[in-house]
Amino acid sequence: MKKNKTGAAAAAAPKKPFLKKLKDSRTLLLMCLPAILFFIVFNYCPLPGVYIAFTNYNFRDGIFGSPFVGFKNFEFLIRSGELWHLTRNTVLYNLAFIVIGNVLQIALAIMLNEIGSKLFKKVSQTLMFLPYFISVVLIGAIAFNILNYDTGALNSLIRATGGNPIKIYSQAGIWPFIILFCNLWQQTGYGSVVYFASICGIDSSMIEAAEVDGATSWQRIRYIILPSLKPTFIILLLFALGGIMKGNFGLFWNLIGNNSQLYSTTNIIETFVYRTMMSQNNFATSSAVGLYQSIFGFALVMFSNWLVKRIDPDYALF
Amino acid sequence: MRKKNVIRRIAAVTLCAAMAAQTMIPALAEENVFEGIDTSDHEVITMLVLGNKPTNGRLEAMLEELNAVLTEKVNAELDLFYIEWTDWQTQYNVQLLSGDSRVDIITTATDWLYAWENTQKGAFLPLSEDMLKTYAPKTWAQVDADGDWDVCKYNDEIYFIPEDHYTQYTNHGMFYRGDWAKEAGLEDGTITKYEDLTDYFAWILENKPDCIPFDANKNTGNIITGYLTSKTDNVIISGVNVGNDEFWFGMSPDDPFTVTSPYMEGDALYDAADLMKEWNDMGVWREDVMNYDGDTREAMYAGTSGADQHHSQTYYSQVKPNMDVKQEGSDVKMYYWGMENNNVSKPLRTHGAAAINSYSEHPERALMVYDLLRNDETCYRLINYGIEGVDYIVTEDGKLDYPEGYDTSRDALDSNFWCGRNDDLELQNVSWWDGTADMIANYDSFAYDYPYEALIIDKNAIEAEMAAMANVLSEYLPQLRWGKFEDPHAAIDEMREKLMAAGYEDVKASIQADMDAYKESLETAE
Repeated sequence: MKKNKTGAAAAAAPKKPFLKKLKDSRTLLLMCLPAILFFIVFNYCPLPGVYIAFTNYNFRDGIFGSPFVGFKNFEFLIRSGELWHLTRNTVLYNLAFIVIGNVLQIALAIMLNEIGSKLFKKVSQTLMFLPYFISVVLIGAIAFNILNYDTGALNSLIRATGGNPIKIYSQAGIWPFIILFCNLWQQTGYGSVVYFASICGIDSSMIEAAEVDGATSWQRIRYIILPSLKPTFIILLLFALGGIMKGNFGLFWNLIGNNSQLYSTTNIIETFVYRTMMSQNNFATSSAVGLYQSIFGFALVMFSNWLVKRIDPDYALF
Repeated sequence: MRKKNVIRRIAAVTLCAAMAAQTMIPALAEENVFEGIDTSDHEVITMLVLGNKPTNGRLEAMLEELNAVLTEKVNAELDLFYIEWTDWQTQYNVQLLSGDSRVDIITTATDWLYAWENTQKGAFLPLSEDMLKTYAPKTWAQVDADGDWDVCKYNDEIYFIPEDHYTQYTNHGMFYRGDWAKEAGLEDGTITKYEDLTDYFAWILENKPDCIPFDANKNTGNIITGYLTSKTDNVIISGVNVGNDEFWFGMSPDDPFTVTSPYMEGDALYDAADLMKEWNDMGVWREDVMNYDGDTREAMYAGTSGADQHHSQTYYSQVKPNMDVKQEGSDVKMYYWGMENNNVSKPLRTHGAAAINSYSEHPERALMVYDLLRNDETCYRLINYGIEGVDYIVTEDGKLDYPEGYDTSRDALDSNFWCGRNDDLELQNVSWWDGTADMIANYDSFAYDYPYEALIIDKNAIEAEMAAMANVLSEYLPQLRWGKFEDPHAAIDEMREKLMAAGYEDVKASIQADMDAYKESLETAE
């Protein structure tokens, strides 16, 4: 985190006038412009629309003309008794994705780094990368063709070997594992690239020095590579924590659909909002749920950033 | 200029005279009913329809021809805006919600297209009598003569035009094969009550190993509703679905103004759930039916499904004629819900309706175009059937047929004009089952009038409770419907308890209040 340190140094120096700073970094700002515009248009401009969550919305009066109803739309969330359940499911899934996902990604990156054969390295990297580009719609279809009771590959195999087929699509308990597996299969290869890149960025003289001093492979990994990955890991973790209230909606929806036998373990906030909107066409309530999700996520980002700052200010995002 | 006008007038008068002399049709029918209306600006009228937009070029060809006619008559052209079937409920409501001024005419319906909700939310333009009489005179006259404007009124203002002059029965039921039913030992090979289906399915399981008795998929309609209709006298109240399910009922055709729900009251639901569990355990449908998305109808055509579920119009217009060709001798029949207790209501007059967008920039011209589409023979045939000789032909005895080599699945026009079909101009389709008229006559002989056509439920008052109830139903109903609970009775008790907690009694009281007011308004009208 060299950058942060120089930033801190600059803050300590006498302050430059704002306009001067703007002028000095105009090239950098220009490069940021597309991203800034993107966020303004898609993330800041629609913000006033949040108001819809507090209204009894109708077409003719529009968002700001519709009658204000306070927290009535949120009542539904609590009344349905699902709020706690959904939050729990969403958070647990994300924690599993983040923790197991990152561990696997780091492990893969290190393994790739240790492989000597360039050809093997490239081939395996490509193969691991591929699932990321497969549409979740296809993943849903593939899963159904493997797992379904009547004609699925898995159950056909079980039948052929004389076993009792499993009714996978009616057993809620199995699905967290299936979803976790699919998510890891989809994301790990892609995620490992970031870590692999940071490994490649490690000053090679450190590793060479360690080798000269007689460090084994394990020692190199333990004392050089892993500590060097820490900043990357923390940044990725912070980003991921901010999204902890979001889910991988496409994956969940395409695997589960409207199979209510599996809701108890697979319903997350996003699938809940989607199903509610699809069957109720209730935009105000959907916005209310979305707002709850965003505020909770916001609080989490602030909290985790605060936590990291307390432990080591250099690693904090802001 | 003046000379030309004189000539035109003379020509018109002579033509009218000739027409009047020739037929008994009043001269008015051919006279320009829009005379005196300023149509000097050329307008493009956009109509929102539901369906998948065709890509075979036939629609565009038809529109080109139609627009030439419309331009000549009212100096306007028509464009179609499609809401495709993927996620159509959301797409439809979002489109109306957006306040998009491009759309002028909106296809709607009180039972399946949220007409009252959208009226309440202000999506539709109120249509004054003067406006209708001036810009849609023929439509006005016909609907008025049939006394049907009342079913389109909200707070005494008309909000949409009903498709009230078109016969179709859209009551649901099960299609099954008469040949197999006969072998299964059912009398005449006919299923007359719900439980007979069990024998039919059992026979298929035993004798047709390659066939799934009812190869349903995750989108198949709720067959428990069918059971409840057949075993109680309750009358479904359309348009107040909880979630996507019909939930609220009137007590009976004789006592339609008492609100109830067999999902909450009585034992019929227990019996239904037991039967569904029996079917599921037998293997009537796939174990994973809730995730399966194959096409049941195609499977039935291919002989791999013994049954399919949909409504009468689908039966006589598609399934029966198709099965007669694709499964010769299958003698496909329909067991309609409510057969054993004659619990069938006549079709809603607002199962299709046309509304004008409240943001439309030229509502008057939109009404004029609509009036032509609905009542002018040339326009009617173009929008519904396409170009004569290419998309359809008229047989010598005046029926509708298709040219040689025409394939519906490839060449369909798909203009989806479902908001103004008209029996007077409708051609009898030779490809439809020739027993159609008898089937409809049979329904007409015993079906009762749908009692709730102008009933409007104030949904704002009960939105939160209904949402909570929908949430409960979305979890329990699919599992009850496909017989997935180990102990259906316990599941029903649990569901009923949760529905109570979600506010069932409050919603019921609120709907009952609306119903009482409706009953009163009917009585005072009399």
